[in-house]
Amino acid sequence: MPRIDLPQGTLDLLILRTLALEPQHGWAISERIQQISSDVLRVQQGSLYPALHRLERRGWIKARWGTSENNRRAKFYELTKTGRRQLEVEKDAWDKLTAAVAQVLGTA
Amino acid sequence: MFRDLWLRMRALFRRRSVETELDDELRFHLERQVEKYVKGGLSREEATRRARMEFGGVEQVKEEYRDARGVSPIETLTRDVRYGLRTLRSNPGFSVVAILTLALGIGANTAIFSVIDSVLLRPLPYADPASLVMVWESNSQQANPHNTVSPPDFLDWDSRNSVFSGMAGLFDQRTNLTGNGAPQEVALQDVTANFFAVLGVNPVLGAGFSAENGQPGHDDVVILSHGFWKEHFAGDSSIIGKTVTLNGHPLIVVGVAPQGFDWFIKDSSLTGAKPQMWTPWIIPKTFHDRKNVGRFMTVVARLKPGATVQQARVQMNTIAAQIAQEYPDFNGNWGANVVPVREQISGDLRPALWILFGAVGFVLLVACANVSSLLLARAAAREREVAIRTAVGASRWRIAFQLLTESVLLAVIGGSIGVGLAVWGTNALLAASPRNLLDLRSVSIDMRILSFAAGSTLLAGLIFGFLPSFISAHASVAETLKEGGRGSSAGKGRGMARSAFVVLQMCLALVLLAGSGLLIRSFIRLVGVDPGFDSSHLLTFKVTLPGLKYGTDAKCQAFFRELLPRLSHLPGVRSVTMNSFPPFSGLGAATGVRLLSQPPRSLKDLPVAEVRVVGPSYFSTMGIPLRAGRTFSEQELAEARHVAIINQGFVDKYLSGVNPLGQKAVIYMKSNEDSENTPSEIIGVVGDVRQMGLDTPGEPTVYWPHPELVYSGMTILVRTSNDPLGLVSAARNELQQMDPEQPMAAVATMGQLLGDSLARSRFTMLLLAIFAAIALTLASIGIYGVIAYGVTQRTQEFGIRIALGAEGRDVLRLVLGQGTRLVLLGIGLGVVLALTLGRFLSTLLYGISPTDPLTFGAVALLLALVALVACYVPARRATRVDLIETLRYE
Repeated sequence: MPRIDLPQGTLDLLILRTLALEPQHGWAISERIQQISSDVLRVQQGSLYPALHRLERRGWIKARWGTSENNRRAKFYELTKTGRRQLEVEKDAWDKLTAAVAQVLGTA
Repeated sequence: MFRDLWLRMRALFRRRSVETELDDELRFHLERQVEKYVKGGLSREEATRRARMEFGGVEQVKEEYRDARGVSPIETLTRDVRYGLRTLRSNPGFSVVAILTLALGIGANTAIFSVIDSVLLRPLPYADPASLVMVWESNSQQANPHNTVSPPDFLDWDSRNSVFSGMAGLFDQRTNLTGNGAPQEVALQDVTANFFAVLGVNPVLGAGFSAENGQPGHDDVVILSHGFWKEHFAGDSSIIGKTVTLNGHPLIVVGVAPQGFDWFIKDSSLTGAKPQMWTPWIIPKTFHDRKNVGRFMTVVARLKPGATVQQARVQMNTIAAQIAQEYPDFNGNWGANVVPVREQISGDLRPALWILFGAVGFVLLVACANVSSLLLARAAAREREVAIRTAVGASRWRIAFQLLTESVLLAVIGGSIGVGLAVWGTNALLAASPRNLLDLRSVSIDMRILSFAAGSTLLAGLIFGFLPSFISAHASVAETLKEGGRGSSAGKGRGMARSAFVVLQMCLALVLLAGSGLLIRSFIRLVGVDPGFDSSHLLTFKVTLPGLKYGTDAKCQAFFRELLPRLSHLPGVRSVTMNSFPPFSGLGAATGVRLLSQPPRSLKDLPVAEVRVVGPSYFSTMGIPLRAGRTFSEQELAEARHVAIINQGFVDKYLSGVNPLGQKAVIYMKSNEDSENTPSEIIGVVGDVRQMGLDTPGEPTVYWPHPELVYSGMTILVRTSNDPLGLVSAARNELQQMDPEQPMAAVATMGQLLGDSLARSRFTMLLLAIFAAIALTLASIGIYGVIAYGVTQRTQEFGIRIALGAEGRDVLRLVLGQGTRLVLLGIGLGVVLALTLGRFLSTLLYGISPTDPLTFGAVALLLALVALVACYVPARRATRVDLIETLRYE
C-alpha cells in the first residue's frame, strides 16, 4: 500500500478540515484522514497529538472531555471561530500551491 | 493569547492532572486501535502488539506533546530534579562521597571568604571610608614606613596642604578609671577635637565634641565607646552630662560612639588595645617647637571630594621636603607617607588571606575534578540507560540537561552542608586565631556570604557536570547497544577525561603541598630562632600610675621600688624586674644617640637606638647574657648616675673595633637640647633580644636604669618556679595593698606574648596544611577510582594474559605503569605551577626561599608515594584475576 509522508504544515490543514465537519477525538481524526485518503495518508500518533496541542495553543481548536461512540471518556476537539478562518486561509494557500506545482510539472 | 497563557499556567500548576489527561488520551487512542484490529479479525494479543508497534515511542510522543504545549523548561526542570533525586538515592555510596567532597570544598571556600569579606571587603564603620587616609612619617634611613608623627609636623601638614578637607591627630594611652566600682585601667585615645568630624562618625547619644572642646578650659569632656557604655554603665541613656573620673580628673560625658565603631591602628597603638573612650587633646604650645617633642602621633585625614590618594602623596611629599629643608636637624631624611585606611587596617593579613583564598579555590577545583571523575565512572554504568532513552526518542540536549541537573543537584546538597561546615569552620577559625589577629565580632555568615556560597555551588555544579553530561549525551546509541555497554567511543572519551582529571588533581595537590611545606619549614625556622632571653615561666603585667596622684618622678620611683621587693617575697617567685617596653609587646621608643668619641654630626645623621628603661636585676631575671663590663649597681638603680648598658647590635653597628666600655653617649630622649641631656657612660654590653618578634632581628638598643628616665607606666616581669598565671591574684593583692585604686593591666605570660607574635604565621601555616591534606586525600581517591575502574574494564584481558603465562608481577607493572604516568605528569605540571606561584608566598616566608628544592622534592615524593599506594590496591586485585571467573563474568 503506497504511503506518503506528509509535507510540513499539511497535517495542520488536514486536521482543521476534518474538524470542520464535526468535533472529533484524536483516534477518529486519524481514522477519518486515512479513510478519506483511501489509505494513502496515515497519521502517526507521534505527530498527531503534538499537532493537536499546537493547534489548541494557537486557539484554532479547543478541547473538552466527552463520551465516545463506544461510551468511553475521550477528549474531543472542535474548531474555533479563528480556526475556521484559518482553515479558509490555509485552504486558499494550499490550492494556490498545488495549482502552481501542477502547472510547473505539467509544462516542464 | 489569554488562552495560551491559561493553558501554560494550568500545565505548570496542575502538572499532575495535565499529565494524567495526556496518559488517558493516549490510552484511549491505543484501545480504539486495538478494538479496530480485533474487529478486523485479529486475536486480542496480536491486535495489541500491532497497535503498540504502530504507536511508536510513548515517551517520544509525550516529549513532543510537552514541547508543543510549551511549558517544558520549568516543568522539565522539576521532573529532572525528581528523577535526579531518585537516581542519587539509588546510588547512596556514590552520592555520599560526591556530596561530602563538595561540602568540604564549598565549606572551606565559604569560611575563608567570610573572613576575607569582613577584613578586606566590608565597608568600614566610617563615612565614605574610601576617602580616608593615614599620613605617616617615614625616614629614608630606617625600614619603618609607618612611623608615628611629631606634633609640629602634624600642625605644619595641616596648615599647608590643600588636598585634605580635614586632618586629625591622636595618640593612645592607658588611664585609671575610679569611682565606678573597682579601679580599672582603660584604653583611652587623646584626639584632636575634629577627630569624629574627620571620620564622619556621629555619636548615637549626646552631641559629641564641639570645636570649643579644642580650646583650653573646655576640654574636660569624654566620649565613651558603645561597648564600654553597655558594659560599665549598663547602656544607661541618661549618662550624658554625668561625670567619670580618669586619673583623678572629673570629665563630663558628651557622647556615646556608635556600635562597632573603634579606631585601632596596630602600627601606632601605644597601648595595643582598642580604645574604650576618647578625650579631646589640645596640642600644648611647647609642642609647637621641634626641640621639645618626638614622634608619637597617629594622623588620619580625609581627601577633599575629587582628590585622589596619588595627588595627596605628591603634595605631602612636597610639603615634607619643604619642612626637611626648613628644619634639617629634625626633619632631614624624613618624608610623608599616605596610606588608604583600608590598606592600613587589613595590614599584614592581606597577602596571607588572598593566598588562603587562592589555595581554597584550588581545593574546590580538586573536589570538582573528583566529582567529575566519579560522574564519568557512573556514566559508564548508565550508558545503556542513556542509550535506551535516546532510542525511545529523548533528544541529546534533553539527556545532557538531565545529567547536568543531577550535577547541580549534587552541588546544591553539597553546598548546603558546606555552608553548615562553614559556620562551624568560621567559628573554629576564629577560635584558632589568637587575639588581635582577627576581629571576632565582625566575622559572621550573612546574606553576602550565603550568596557567595550559592554562586560557588552553582558554578561548581556546572563545572564538574558539564564534561560528563556532554560526553554521555553524544554517545552513539547503536554502538553502545551493540557492544553491550563496554568499550564504546564514549567510554574512550571518558577514559581520556578521567585521566586528565587525575593529572589536574595531582597538579593542584602538589601546588598546595608545596605551599604548605614551605610555610611549615619557614615556621619551624621561626620557632627555632633564639629570642635572646628565656621566655618560660615569666609573668608580665602593666602598672600605670596616674599623674594626679603620682605627679613627680620621686613618687613614681618610690612606688616601684617598694612594689618590686614585695612581689619578690611571694612564694614561687624567683626574681622580679620591670621594663618600659618589654619584648613582644610590639611597643618601643627610639631616638638619636651622640657618641662623644665620634666627630659631631647633625641630629638627623646620628645613630638611632631603641631606649628601654629597666628595673633591678633585669638581665639576670630575663636570662640575657652579659657580654662585657657589668650590670647596674644598687646605687645606679636608686638614683640617676648617668650610666647605660648597650646591646651587641649597637656595638656591631656603631662601635665596631672600638672598646665600648667607658664611652660616653648623649641619648636624646627627654629633649633635643644638649643642655638638658647629661651624657651617659656605657658600663656594659649585653646580648641582642628580638624585641619586635622572632622574625625581626634586634635593633641597636640602649638600656637605662629607671631613675635615668622615670616612666609612670612600667611592665612588671616576674620569673616564677611554676605556672606564672598562678601568681596573678597574689601579685594583684600586693599591688592593691599599696594602693587600692591601682589596677593591674595587660596580664599575660611571656609564652602567650611569644605565641601572639607567631599567630599570623601559625594561622596561615595551619590552614594551608589543612587544605593541602584535603587536596591530597581527594586526589588519592581520584586516582584510586580511575585505576580501579581501568582494572575492572580490563579484567578479561588480564585473565587471558595470566592464562597465557604472564606473572602477577607483569600485570602489576602494567597497571602501576598506567598510574605512574598520570602521577608523574601531574607532579611535573604541579612543580612548574608551584614555582610560578611561589613568589606570592615569599612575603610570608622566613629564612627559606619559595623555590626551596628540599621542600619541593619532599612534597613531590610524598604525593607520588600516596598516589602509588592508591594505585597499588586495585593493581593488586588485577594480579589475582581468575580466567574462569573472567569468562563467566562476560
